[in-house]
Amino acid sequence: MDVNLRVQRYDPAGDRKPYYEEYLLTGQPEGVTVLDALIEVRENVDETLGMRCSCRSSICGSCAMRINGQATLACKTRVSSVAQPDGSVTVEPMGNMPVLKDLVVDFEIFWNKINDIGPWLKTEGPVPEREYIVDNEKMLNLIGTVGCIMCGACVSDCTVLAADPDFLGPAALAKAYRFVGDPRDAHREERLADYVKDGGIWDCTHCYYCVEVCPKGVAPMEWILELRREAEAAGHTNHNGVRHSKVFAESVKEAGWLDEAKLAMESMGSLKEKLSLVPVGLRSLLHGKMPPTGPLHYKRPGADHVKRIFEELEAKE
Amino acid sequence: MIFEHDVLVIGAGMAGLRSAIEANRAGADVAILTKVYPVRSHTNAAQGGINAALGEGDSWESHAYDTVKGSDFLGDQDAIEILAQEAPSDIIELEHMGVIFNRDEEGRLGSRNFGGATHARTYFVADITGQAMLHVGYEQILKYKIPCYNEFFATSLILEGGEAKGCLAIELRTGEMHMVKAKAVIMCTGGVGRAFEPSTNALICTGDGMALAYQAGAPLMDMEMVQYHPTTLPSNGALLTEGARGEGAYLINSLGERFMQKYAPNMLELASRDVVSRSEQTEINEGRGINGCVLLDCRHLGEQVIRTKLSQIYDLAKDFSGIDLVKEPVPIRPGMHYIMGGIKTDVNGRTMLPGLFAAGETACISLHGGNRLGANSLLELVVFGRRAGAAAAEHAARSQHSGAGEKRLKQDDDTIRELLGREDKGEHAGPLRMELGRTMHENVGVYRTAEGLTKAIGLVAQLKERYRRISVGDKGQVFNTNLTAALELGNMLDVSEAICRGSLMREESRGAQFRLDFPDRNDEQWLKHTLAYKDGDSVRMDTLPVKITRWEPVKRTY
Amino acid sequence: MKYAFYPGCVAKGGAPELYQSTLAVTKALGIELVELEGAACTGAGVLSERNPELADTLNARTFAMAERHGLPLMNICSTCHGVMCQANARMQKDPAYLERINTHLAPEGLHYSGKTVVKHLLWVLMEDVGIDAIKAKISKPLGDLKAAPFYGCYIVRPSWVLGYDEMPQRKRYLEDLIEALGAESVEYTGKDKCCGFPILTMNRDNSLKMTGTHVLEAQDKGADFMVTPCPLCHLNLDGSQVEASDAVKAHLDMPVLHLPQLVGVALGIEPKALGLHKNMVNTRRLVEQFAKL
Repeated sequence: MDVNLRVQRYDPAGDRKPYYEEYLLTGQPEGVTVLDALIEVRENVDETLGMRCSCRSSICGSCAMRINGQATLACKTRVSSVAQPDGSVTVEPMGNMPVLKDLVVDFEIFWNKINDIGPWLKTEGPVPEREYIVDNEKMLNLIGTVGCIMCGACVSDCTVLAADPDFLGPAALAKAYRFVGDPRDAHREERLADYVKDGGIWDCTHCYYCVEVCPKGVAPMEWILELRREAEAAGHTNHNGVRHSKVFAESVKEAGWLDEAKLAMESMGSLKEKLSLVPVGLRSLLHGKMPPTGPLHYKRPGADHVKRIFEELEAKE
Repeated sequence: MIFEHDVLVIGAGMAGLRSAIEANRAGADVAILTKVYPVRSHTNAAQGGINAALGEGDSWESHAYDTVKGSDFLGDQDAIEILAQEAPSDIIELEHMGVIFNRDEEGRLGSRNFGGATHARTYFVADITGQAMLHVGYEQILKYKIPCYNEFFATSLILEGGEAKGCLAIELRTGEMHMVKAKAVIMCTGGVGRAFEPSTNALICTGDGMALAYQAGAPLMDMEMVQYHPTTLPSNGALLTEGARGEGAYLINSLGERFMQKYAPNMLELASRDVVSRSEQTEINEGRGINGCVLLDCRHLGEQVIRTKLSQIYDLAKDFSGIDLVKEPVPIRPGMHYIMGGIKTDVNGRTMLPGLFAAGETACISLHGGNRLGANSLLELVVFGRRAGAAAAEHAARSQHSGAGEKRLKQDDDTIRELLGREDKGEHAGPLRMELGRTMHENVGVYRTAEGLTKAIGLVAQLKERYRRISVGDKGQVFNTNLTAALELGNMLDVSEAICRGSLMREESRGAQFRLDFPDRNDEQWLKHTLAYKDGDSVRMDTLPVKITRWEPVKRTY
Repeated sequence: MKYAFYPGCVAKGGAPELYQSTLAVTKALGIELVELEGAACTGAGVLSERNPELADTLNARTFAMAERHGLPLMNICSTCHGVMCQANARMQKDPAYLERINTHLAPEGLHYSGKTVVKHLLWVLMEDVGIDAIKAKISKPLGDLKAAPFYGCYIVRPSWVLGYDEMPQRKRYLEDLIEALGAESVEYTGKDKCCGFPILTMNRDNSLKMTGTHVLEAQDKGADFMVTPCPLCHLNLDGSQVEASDAVKAHLDMPVLHLPQLVGVALGIEPKALGLHKNMVNTRRLVEQFAKL
């Protein structure tokens, strides 16, 4: 098959800004991957193409890049599955990390975030002579996070990191759960106290981008949500995120549907934050669309059944 | 720039990380230098597990004997005894560091069956054991704040008074040449799979450490012992773990027969890798293959087992062969996978060059002799990584730093500048590497002959000649992977020469070496290791007797 | 064409113009709606974060109501849609789980078989009504106007829950619809990103910066207005645009339309009937442009 790669190029020595270069490869095997094609370019067409790659089996995490705008592993992506109707495949470096050259980005940002979560097992007390005895289910559960190969795809496409580079980000937070959820770790409490701070678990918007792009099915966002549950259960409740979640549930429980205004107001922990809602509230009033709130927030038909369902299932929490 | 450390570890796979941790514990100022990032190394690719005689009814002697037998009696038994004896405590230590090994119903470590083993002594993390271990190793590096020179490519060792005293390295990010002085150097740079095409190995497995040590005067041992793994995908050479057969998967030919019944009636699919790979190749050569492959059949294991215990290979078969393991058997063939040979070391990682240590696939102690058993490689990394780390720290404590300075640094810098400065009219590294790989696979693969080996030696010599005149298309400083590919090719050519010469010299069939012209094992003449020394532009061969402690060689059957 | 209609909380609360314009547009296109008055909130991902089984049960309850009418379900919110599709996928994949959930529904006399088809209005328009039928009813093609589509996360991710593997054309429904209505669809990177709304109360700075960035990008690419099938995105893109301007230090003046408002304009429905005057960012100039079409 023919492969038409459109590759973003940038050499800091000579280029003022990135540009695209097209490579047409003919007679490639049907199953050719984007990485195979890039290697073919680098070895036989244009030796100056800069990229990282190693294992070719989606286990080393080296070759993450954006293919048609979305971060993934080039070694795992078959050209035939991503070629556009005109046959082209666009290849760009990952986002949220500065480009060093062509498809090579500065990964230090990624490693620093991993380091920030205290990424090693912290046990306490006498070390057993043999292994720690732990439930296999709990170990199996952790495999979901240990499957992360640190390729950076989730960090590349995280929509929060794009706005706030201080966010710990999906990979590091998924890694954080790996220790919080490990029965052998004795520092669960202080970890959670750390992860609820600004830049931590409550800054995730659950936009599913990391879930979508993770080439290993780690679904970092799901672990962030797991951390939120753990943090709340551990008593870290003085946070707008927890208030938001609780008020949301209460209002649906009582009336069958959401009291938007109450949710916004009661999520805010400080008077200053509550006041910040005043302008938007006033604008709503002026436009005749203040949602029914407080006593005006009527019950939906069948709201008593909704409440019963809440009571049944909250008892199981 | 010039940096100084007590101990320098080159390579950041599990052997490198484990040795650095140990050197750190021994109080040495240790640093790691790697051409990639720590978690990128090829330890990741070890899927199935790590061996230890920890279970009831198992013993270190049994583990050791299985290893000796697996090695076709070429392994040094003193080293194998250490491996088997120290395995349990090293695995327990890994568990304490954080590896999330699978458990049994009581919450204790749970094990699985593996090729060539008489007990279920393979401990595992699903089918990502190597990755799970390597990441824990990296966590420990962060915990102990061990400095890492990431994405630095070592170009040569510093030698002074016949001792290794550090290395020169290019920082890929800037193209700048640096000198890292150390009182002891531990080489942990992995294998040389890229000298073969195809291979299961990562693109970074280019034998750099073997070549650097060899060029500095340390001998390579048993380089002819190249393992072909029985289950690799034809499209890209990717590996499907032996764990699949450990869980009960079948190998079948085009007639639907479980052909291993003919070759290894007792162990069947779980005979040692050399035996299974040869059996597959025989089936294929005799016309019972399918497009150069036989089939790995997992269907009877059921979706549950495939999805939980073999999830990675489920994905690999799907991504690279378009096959759903739950529904169909997947075509596989033997593929170059591992080199049992390497830099000759003693049981403490000491090479024959003072100050230079080695551990992991790049070293040859020799544990694996003619054939490595599955799940013994991860074990080697931790047991002998630890021992090398301790020995290197001890050596560093009574050693001085090199007096080398800018002049020595400039030597390597000039070499690189000369290479970059050549007009781009020569051949390029990529196509030359491909020729090398095909030459090695065709002539130094599963079946070998004097004729083929002689041909390979001639072709490698020609390639070396052409290599002298290559040019590099990328003239840039930043992340010049074209330059590193050229340097890697130089390393692979040196190592390949040693592989061919070892294979031609060993006129017998043992373990992974099968000579059609010498089809039998010859204990009278060949119960010994081959040694290759670099001698100017040629190779000087020598031999060394095998150390036998308690197990006299017997005929090997499975 | 008849659907069990699930309007969601915001269309009945802070965005009445969405509800109003949906009714107007479906009527004009001959789509019959049976509103599920008693249906509860989907949980918007917040409830499932606290208690997945609880959230799934509330959605199963809604699906069972649709099933009782023998109708497919239509919603008008990307977030509701994604949450419903995820809940449906979980229950369809695991019959034992569905049965457990049904035990919670039994006291109300409801039972969910797992078969309710869930569609967002956008999918209904593109898959059931069809571009040609819509085109046939256009009385005011949108001429030279440039519209920037903004999907909302939950109608695009995770793609495997939303059937994108089988129907990759879903990736471009908004663009295709905009073009079918005669306008030009503006290409920009923000279209499938997060609007920031979910963290408005947790990290207001980030939330506003996210919204501001996308609006600014659409504005820089020459969009006359944005259009979204998600009322929660609308709350941020439209409702918080004033504050978002400060967050990105730029003057933002970008009308943001709900999906049915846009379709309604092309169908010739009066702006007032579509509630355009209720949008926070002033739509007067846009309405004037519409009038000239």
